[in-house]
Amino acid sequence: MNQDQGDPSIVVTRASSTDFERIFHPKRVAIAGVSPGGGSGFGTLSFLSLQAMGFEGEIFPVNPKGGEITGLKIYRNMEDIPGRLDLVVVVVAAEDAAAILEAGRKKGAAGAIIITSGFSETGTPEGVAREEEIRRIAAEGIRVIGPNCFGIYCPRSGLTFIPNPDLTRESGPVAFLSQSGGMASDYTNMGMWMGLRFSKVVSFGNGVDLRESELLRYLGDDAETGVISMYVEGIRDGDEFLEALKFAAGKKPVVILKGGLSTAGSRAVVSHTASLGGSRTIWESILRQAGAVQVRDTQEMAQASLAFALLPGKVYRGLSVAGGGGALGIVACDAAEVHGLEVPPLQEAVSKKVASFLPRTGASAVNPIDVANPYTPPAVLENIFRASAQDSRIDLQILMLLPHHFKTFSGLERGWMTFPYEELADRLKTVAAETQKPIVLVMTNTKRGLPDLDVVEVHAKARQTFLKEGIPVFDEIGDALRAIANNNRYYGKGETA
Amino acid sequence: MNHESAEKITGSARSGGRNVLTEYESKQVLKAYGIPVTREALVHKESEVIPVTADIGYPLVMKVCSAAIAHKTEKGLIRVDIRTDAEALQAFREIKGGLEGQEGGVLIQEMIKGRRELVMGLTRDDQFGPCVMFGLGGIFTEILRDIVFRRAPLTREDAFAMMREIRASGILDAVRGMKAADRERLADMLIGIGQIGIDLARVREIDLNPVILSGKDPVVVDALIVLA
Repeated sequence: MNQDQGDPSIVVTRASSTDFERIFHPKRVAIAGVSPGGGSGFGTLSFLSLQAMGFEGEIFPVNPKGGEITGLKIYRNMEDIPGRLDLVVVVVAAEDAAAILEAGRKKGAAGAIIITSGFSETGTPEGVAREEEIRRIAAEGIRVIGPNCFGIYCPRSGLTFIPNPDLTRESGPVAFLSQSGGMASDYTNMGMWMGLRFSKVVSFGNGVDLRESELLRYLGDDAETGVISMYVEGIRDGDEFLEALKFAAGKKPVVILKGGLSTAGSRAVVSHTASLGGSRTIWESILRQAGAVQVRDTQEMAQASLAFALLPGKVYRGLSVAGGGGALGIVACDAAEVHGLEVPPLQEAVSKKVASFLPRTGASAVNPIDVANPYTPPAVLENIFRASAQDSRIDLQILMLLPHHFKTFSGLERGWMTFPYEELADRLKTVAAETQKPIVLVMTNTKRGLPDLDVVEVHAKARQTFLKEGIPVFDEIGDALRAIANNNRYYGKGETA
Repeated sequence: MNHESAEKITGSARSGGRNVLTEYESKQVLKAYGIPVTREALVHKESEVIPVTADIGYPLVMKVCSAAIAHKTEKGLIRVDIRTDAEALQAFREIKGGLEGQEGGVLIQEMIKGRRELVMGLTRDDQFGPCVMFGLGGIFTEILRDIVFRRAPLTREDAFAMMREIRASGILDAVRGMKAADRERLADMLIGIGQIGIDLARVREIDLNPVILSGKDPVVVDALIVLA
């Protein structure tokens, strides 16, 4: 029985009977291709990474040579492993992959991750034939991720990519799908410091079996996942993808980075419509039609995902922007307009209240709010934000911080650690919860060179502290506004852009 | 909607070895799907001209209508704002002469007045299949590129979203003394174009440019259908 691409009912039937729980949260995992001598082969690294993550289930290393690794017995054959398997990680040579997969299927594994390359991506008849064989075995009852991929990162279970034994076990609402393993690894690493926490990250490589559409549907239904981000180059079936995307985006935000948007192919076209309908335009339209949010690069994807992960799901139109410096506020207002956001002047009574917490000279309580002092104490900022939140036109509040100023003056008299980010995080969290208006932080670091690595460090610590309190942090005001605008594109569907 | 007649028109062009429908044929397909097109008639003999002009009424546009000539403007085989029988007969003779013996006739159609020009169309994308286009029409369509697509079939909401998404969406509103466009009618047209793409697998591309807003009413003024 071959998987028929033309008949969507087959895919649906298989998805509904697929035991994704055993694939993403396996208890018993075989890794085929582990070397008894250790070393740096992908099989061994795969095994060591899983151990380093503190994977709690049982791991069964497999190699025909036998032996042991880190005190664990290496099985000579898959058949020798006692009991049923949940997942098989295949890191053997391409020509041996099918046999391992078949053995794993017979051991009752729900799925297999085939890391090995040497399949259709080679373009050779042997490679294509090997992939066909994998497809055939998969259709008999084992779901395959790969080949030619990095596999799965799932913090709850401890599965990880080969080169990433150091990813956190802390789960979060963000899922990520990608054909490319490099992209999956990079995005996850970037997410770590930016504040993204993941439910499931899947790199599916050649996508012989499980791939974009089915995984989208799965994640759409997945209770662990609150926002789906995705890197797409090619897709297997346009109809299937559009329907799956509509389904997933109907349930939760889907952020998509589409790679390979070159202009229309070489096909000769007669009409203007066809010449206008190049790959880029059609993709943009299709993604919009499905209700997904299209982004232009990985940074934008991560920032949008952060906003979706941390902000309550609704449209935020009116913003208050506070910071120490007039020009910053002006620039913020200009950028807000470009993104369809507003920085309305505060109502008079509100403005008066805000002014009562500001220095008498050099400050402005209109919006943008100029606190006129980069060292404004957290208690004062708390009062200001509580007051400005009273304006009914304000949906969300932005604080622009420049913590490097603390260093400038520390050399003169005070200590550097006077940037009280813990107290500030605590107070901002309190105000945001009390006023039901989220606060977003922008911490721009203008000091990033070698002499200022201490500033970089404090920035990183402060960022982590704010994120822990659920306060989104961005490096630049433009990043924050774009992320909020992307949030609005999803929740404001149907509104005039 | 009359699929059979549309099927018949595209089928006979195909069996005649053609992959491009004439403007007249293209509009017959559109009409079968309830898409408003210019009132027009195709004539081959000079004696047919005056009865037709009398029926449609001046001012009129007359164009060459031949599968062999796709770009009528470039060939100079189009006459606009024809107001008298004498002008109509002269136009007929000139256009007929321009055919230089190739097969074809002269299309006589009402002249639609309106300053707002839209474009609609359909392309069959390799990955997504039939996709409907909507945007700002006229001669600068490809320069301005103010267009959006939706994969067919279109929901009503898809059609309305397309109208909102173009940068120039404001021209559909009541602007400078012009009436707000009949968006319901525009939505019907976009949905209908998508339906043609779904029903007629041999239609590869559709180009409706311009679709002129005559007051609030959209009318397809020029049309081209390309077969696979």
